[in-house]
Amino acid sequence: MTFNILSILPILVLAGFGMLVLVVDVMSARKLGEKNLLAYLSLAGIVIAAIVSRNSTATTLFSFNETFTIDNYALFFNILFLLSTGLVILISHSYIKREDINHGEYYALLMFSTIGMMLMASGADLLNIFIGLEVMSISIYILTGFKRSKLISNEASLKYFLLGAFATGFLLYGISLVYGTTGTIDLRQIASFVAGKGGVKDPLLLMGMGLIIVGLGFKVASVPFHAWVPDVYEGAPTAVTAFMSVGPKAAAFAAFMRIFLTAFGSSHYEWQKAIWILAVLTMTVGNVVAISQTNIKRMLAYSSIAHAGYLLVALVAANNMGVSGTLFYLLAYIFMNIGAFAIVIVLSQKGDVGMNIDDYAGLGFKHPMLAIAMTLFMFSMAGIPPMAGFVGKFYIFSAAIKSGYVGLAIIGVINSVISVYYYLRITVIMYMKEPVRDFHPLTISPLIVVAIAIAVVGTLHLGIFPSKVMEIAQRSILTLR
Amino acid sequence: MLNLISLVLLFPLIGTAINGLIGKKLRKETVGYIACGAIGMSFFVAILVFFGLLQLPPESRVFEKQLFNWIESGSFKAAAGLQVDPLSSLMILIITGVGFLIHIYSIGYMHHDKGYHRYFCYLNLFTFSMLLLVLGNNFLLMFIGWEAVGLCSYLLIGFWFEKKSASDAAKKAFIVNRVGDFGFALGIMLIFITFDTIDFTGVFHAASQGNIAVGSFTVTIITLLLFMGATGKSAQIPLYTWLPDAMEGPTPVSALIHAATMVTAGVYMIARCNVLFMLSPFTMTVVACIGAATALFAASIGLVQNDIKRVLAYSTVSQLGYMFLACGVGAFTAGVFHLMTHAFFKALLFLGSGSVIHALSGEQDMRKMGGLKKHIPITYRTFLVGTVAIAGIPPFAGFFSKDEILLEAFVRGNFIYWAVGALAALFTAFYMFRLLIMTFHGKSRVDHHAMEHLHESPKNMTVPLKILAVLALLGGFLGIPGASAINGFLSPVFGEHGHVETHGAEACGSHAACLPYLMMVISTGIAIAGIYLAYLMYIKSPELPKKLAERFSLIYKLLLNKYYIDEIYDALFVNPIKKISLLLWKRVDAQLIDGTVNGVAGFVRGFGSVLRLSQTGYVRNYAFYIVAGCIFIIVFVVFGK
Amino acid sequence: MESYLFYIVGTIAVLAAVYLIFERNPVFCALYLIQTMVCIAVLYILLEAQFIAAVQMIVYAGAIMVLFLFVIMLLNIKGDEESKRSFPFRKIPAILMGIGLLTVICIILKSKLLQGKQDVYTVAHIESLGNTQLIGNLLFTDYLLPFEITSILLFVAAIGAIMLAKRKL
Repeated sequence: MTFNILSILPILVLAGFGMLVLVVDVMSARKLGEKNLLAYLSLAGIVIAAIVSRNSTATTLFSFNETFTIDNYALFFNILFLLSTGLVILISHSYIKREDINHGEYYALLMFSTIGMMLMASGADLLNIFIGLEVMSISIYILTGFKRSKLISNEASLKYFLLGAFATGFLLYGISLVYGTTGTIDLRQIASFVAGKGGVKDPLLLMGMGLIIVGLGFKVASVPFHAWVPDVYEGAPTAVTAFMSVGPKAAAFAAFMRIFLTAFGSSHYEWQKAIWILAVLTMTVGNVVAISQTNIKRMLAYSSIAHAGYLLVALVAANNMGVSGTLFYLLAYIFMNIGAFAIVIVLSQKGDVGMNIDDYAGLGFKHPMLAIAMTLFMFSMAGIPPMAGFVGKFYIFSAAIKSGYVGLAIIGVINSVISVYYYLRITVIMYMKEPVRDFHPLTISPLIVVAIAIAVVGTLHLGIFPSKVMEIAQRSILTLR
Repeated sequence: MLNLISLVLLFPLIGTAINGLIGKKLRKETVGYIACGAIGMSFFVAILVFFGLLQLPPESRVFEKQLFNWIESGSFKAAAGLQVDPLSSLMILIITGVGFLIHIYSIGYMHHDKGYHRYFCYLNLFTFSMLLLVLGNNFLLMFIGWEAVGLCSYLLIGFWFEKKSASDAAKKAFIVNRVGDFGFALGIMLIFITFDTIDFTGVFHAASQGNIAVGSFTVTIITLLLFMGATGKSAQIPLYTWLPDAMEGPTPVSALIHAATMVTAGVYMIARCNVLFMLSPFTMTVVACIGAATALFAASIGLVQNDIKRVLAYSTVSQLGYMFLACGVGAFTAGVFHLMTHAFFKALLFLGSGSVIHALSGEQDMRKMGGLKKHIPITYRTFLVGTVAIAGIPPFAGFFSKDEILLEAFVRGNFIYWAVGALAALFTAFYMFRLLIMTFHGKSRVDHHAMEHLHESPKNMTVPLKILAVLALLGGFLGIPGASAINGFLSPVFGEHGHVETHGAEACGSHAACLPYLMMVISTGIAIAGIYLAYLMYIKSPELPKKLAERFSLIYKLLLNKYYIDEIYDALFVNPIKKISLLLWKRVDAQLIDGTVNGVAGFVRGFGSVLRLSQTGYVRNYAFYIVAGCIFIIVFVVFGK
Repeated sequence: MESYLFYIVGTIAVLAAVYLIFERNPVFCALYLIQTMVCIAVLYILLEAQFIAAVQMIVYAGAIMVLFLFVIMLLNIKGDEESKRSFPFRKIPAILMGIGLLTVICIILKSKLLQGKQDVYTVAHIESLGNTQLIGNLLFTDYLLPFEITSILLFVAAIGAIMLAKRKL
């Protein structure tokens, strides 16, 4: 019976600051008007949570009756989530002011959502992971509909909610089947049960596994559970889109890897085939459809589907390099994707005007710094060295080759070649076309500039000096199996 | 102190970043101070490193600093590390030292240019790349530096890109270099396949262990490919044509990149890989032949050119040929020694010519100069030092290094190498004094418009000239025969084969012992003969050149038009490729490839549009996909085998 | 006896759910939903989970459904109008999918199943402690963390309800 309250300290800090933000918002809304204080308060919460997360332990530590883990894996993801939330707060500040949705609840929900993600990464049983997933998802359903006066935002929120609830049904059904056959929801006990029976052969357990793939596949936006992504990404406030393209995806992958490597690790042959097909479908559909998009948010939505596909490749490989490569790639993805969305926010106007790819024509002449940053992010996503995206893809594809999935790696490389087309198109439009519009007024504030700077530095740093982070990632996955 | 080595790289990078990012908003003075300060500090650290190296015993003068591992996957390991040994420390001294002087010079020279910060940003970036090239401890890093200096060279040749000739020259340099780089890249890949590593230490250790037979096919191919890279970067036959055109860039750039540093990268690379090259006698012969041929060939073109910078450009090509000749006969020390002295006097000559051009408001044609001696005395005096140095009059720097190369060519190679080298030396002395006389002596042919603005350059241009003149005067004493400091210093890198121990060779008999002295006398004689010829033709009887040109009009035309090499290349490669590409474009590309590509692209796009149709916007359809996917996954997981 | 009861109640629950989907009148829909909930409560009782059954009745069948009915009546929703722009033949693939899913599940259930591990909470164990006490124990020992996090979940849901529905913020 261990109830080490310190083990959930980051969660407590976030919850506390979330509520503090709500209270401060209510008490001072009239006086402050600008509500800058709320953003700083939430940032402080994120930073403090990150600091208390750092009391790292070399060995696995269980608490709450072994339902909660704080191993290096969980710590890595904690930092990852806090980083993404922090960056999103930085890029949100001026955006929500512009769109008149500057409510304190916005920051609070971001933090509550992060609590859910942390729980997903550290849950040692299926129940914790499920609750975490729900806390995360419901916060994001609300954030998606945050532009209450906009129909498209409401629609996106409702769609996401309905489909999310639907997918949750599959996930829960899967969990219950796993519980029914193994008699436990504890991941390690499931693992020992499965190993004791010489791998999973029981059809019901396999079906449970399949249904968990469906439920989590929905959250990581893998084809064919991806259909909500473009509509929801387009409808949601842009800063929220940035948030949900990184945080929940990372959290779902964290849960994915924890469940499938810890609990079902001994029989990965069964689930790898299914994920192989998902990976191929996800990469191909994401990249191919992205080509024909004209709205940048939709294009980034499909690009995020494609990136989920690359990450699934690493999951199929399921070797140390693949898993640590996933961790690395997720970190790189946070920098490049939030960076790209930050630029999208800076260049759009009230009511999300200026979201067409053609609106970026001539940016290179008018705002060279923004254009350079955007080029960097696009290059990184396309996987051009020496950006972070290249190194991530390098690790993932070489992991696939190492595990003998040469065909999958080739499909992956072909797909990333296809992706170069639509990423570079933005660069070409920025530098080689005459400007068609005035970019003023820019939605710019010191906070968003800081966010872009962090993203640029991160993208370059991970691309040029990847080995340090890769070492940390490799250390983080030791406790997974 | 050796640990400071990364700072040498860091300072220019910081300078690039500052000038590149915010240079536009800074005042011109600040931009200049930042750029020069960066290189100056880098130079200071390079000196510290040099003395740090000197404190070590000679046989352990190798220091490697691992910076970070870039990517590691299986046996492939891409690490970034710096290597300090006598060779690279000498190179960084030259690069930062000469680079520093040229940076200072540029402040004055580029003062009126509107792309001031851009210029200094590129120049710092170039210095960084060049330092990376020489400091890298593996072939990959060297290649990155190699490509980066190529890029900077491209940017700086085309610095005045509004001028069509400048942007054409930049393009030409880039494309010609690409041919060489292709060979270099192939060579590196072959090295990785053969040795399973790309670290210098690993490769050279494996090569020197005797695992590879002397003259084996693999090592011959590797070294030939590496040499192909060197011919591109160092402007040797057949890839030299870009260098004379590269004179379209600002003159300090020509001094730094196209005389003192970048073009010597090929020599550095071969010297660095001396272990590999020594394993392939065939490649060594190729290197020596190409070097000797280039030395003579380029010098002969230089005889009749009228553009002051072009003469210097052909002279550079010719001098680089000497260095390759030295490497080709195995006298790497002599090659590197000449590299160093050449950096001093050629930078001096280029900067001097820049000063002349500056004084004449941009005039480069020597036929419109003359009599400038009294107008720009400092430039004249320093230029004279440089000219004497390159002509090879003792005790100036060029004498010692060139003499050593000729001696080595005679001792290790054969009489033909020596004869070719000596003839080229004669040409060199002639065309350099022709240049000097046409520019500074005789009657003024300057048009009156330029005459009005005629002025000596400002201090920040003349001081670097004076310092370089001192170096060109004294630099040779580092390699004085019999007590050569540079031989001893470089011997850990090149081993026993670096230079010939002729000086202590009493045992070889009196004939061998007095050979060096005989050689010195002969080469001095050759130089004086060349100078006298120039004096005869351009001061004593100025009508003589014209007569000669009429008499030997065929040869004169041939030389004046640079043997029509550019035209031949155009006819042989460029035009056929253009024609073939036109054909390919019209027939194959437009119809076949484009058809296919458009077909594939159209297919992908069409496929995308079909998939887009599935994006109906209805939740029930999306839910339908989920159920379908779910059934599929369950079937696959449960029943799939 | 118990298994017969299980099949009867289970069938009613499924049938009520099917009617719920096909019924157009929202009030009837709500009533069918209540029926399903009640049946599930009965199933809980059959599984010796009286506390959960009671909670199921009070919370779902009672509170939530009453709220549903209130809302439906207040909003005065008419029967669902068939959308003109609907996906053609949308029913046929949907029915095919449903049949497919059902078939797959049936095949799996028909195949030889592994005997799962028996949990510590057997009927005898539960009866010896008492249903409510056991749940209370578990909630505050083994499942304390999810229990507490659920409070955040509810809190978030409350914020969401206010954020999305309140007329003026």
